[in-house]
Amino acid sequence: MNEPIEQDWLDRKLQEAAPYIEDDGFTARVLQQLPVPRQAGRFLRPFILVGMSAFASALTYVLSDGGRFILVEMFRLTTIPTLWVVAFALASGMLVMAGGIFAAMSKSNQIQS
Amino acid sequence: MELTDAGLVARVLVDDDQHAFGELVRRHQSSVRGLLRQLTRGDFALADDLAQDAFVRAYKNIRGFRGEAKFSTWLYRIAYNCFREDARRRKELVGINEEQWQAERDPQTVDPGLRHDLMHALSLLPLHERSAVLLCCQNGLSHDEAARVLEIPLGTVKTNVLRGREKLKKTLAVWAQ
Repeated sequence: MNEPIEQDWLDRKLQEAAPYIEDDGFTARVLQQLPVPRQAGRFLRPFILVGMSAFASALTYVLSDGGRFILVEMFRLTTIPTLWVVAFALASGMLVMAGGIFAAMSKSNQIQS
Repeated sequence: MELTDAGLVARVLVDDDQHAFGELVRRHQSSVRGLLRQLTRGDFALADDLAQDAFVRAYKNIRGFRGEAKFSTWLYRIAYNCFREDARRRKELVGINEEQWQAERDPQTVDPGLRHDLMHALSLLPLHERSAVLLCCQNGLSHDEAARVLEIPLGTVKTNVLRGREKLKKTLAVWAQ
């Protein structure tokens, strides 16, 4: 598929006839045309996420009658057998670990390509 | 140590590093501008505008670069698409700018007369043959890479290169002796 192109007189002359073109400000002009980097957006992202989470928590607290459901659920948790709690913790841990491994692999693929 | 193209692309992807992209532009500007100058038959201003457009598009779409081909091949493809879109808009390609060809010649490596005849002969080739010859014979792409750039079947590239080279050889027969 990737066979080398036969080099002969014509190819050599074609290559020699294409001199190096000096940059002469070309790169600078291209860089001026590029869109503004998203650094500012990236910097704000964690603050936006934390803010949204805090807002959602506050909203839930207010809408759920002062978070009474949390107390109810806590009480219910205490009635669950210990084995179930351990199994639930293990499953959650494995789920989080799988998510982390997947994210690391996709990031590594992105960097390699 | 100098970073590879892939390393620079990674920096652009991860950190939006425009300096890294600037280095990529510096590395490839000559070949991309050279290709476009010949595709536009010597209209240097148009070629540079198209090259600028191609690099900006490459930056905006850099996430589309999967590393399956060389970065230069991917760039040629974008540059060729820019040229094709512009040619479609203009319907007709511009004429040869003989004065500029002469001004940019390199008398130390190629006889000026030969260079002139070579460029003239190239400009007379139909676009599909000229593009294939420029990519394969001048820029050193394999047939397979050229097929990706031009988005045509491999067999068509081979035919176009063969026909283009034969025509050039016929036109330049006197120089080959």
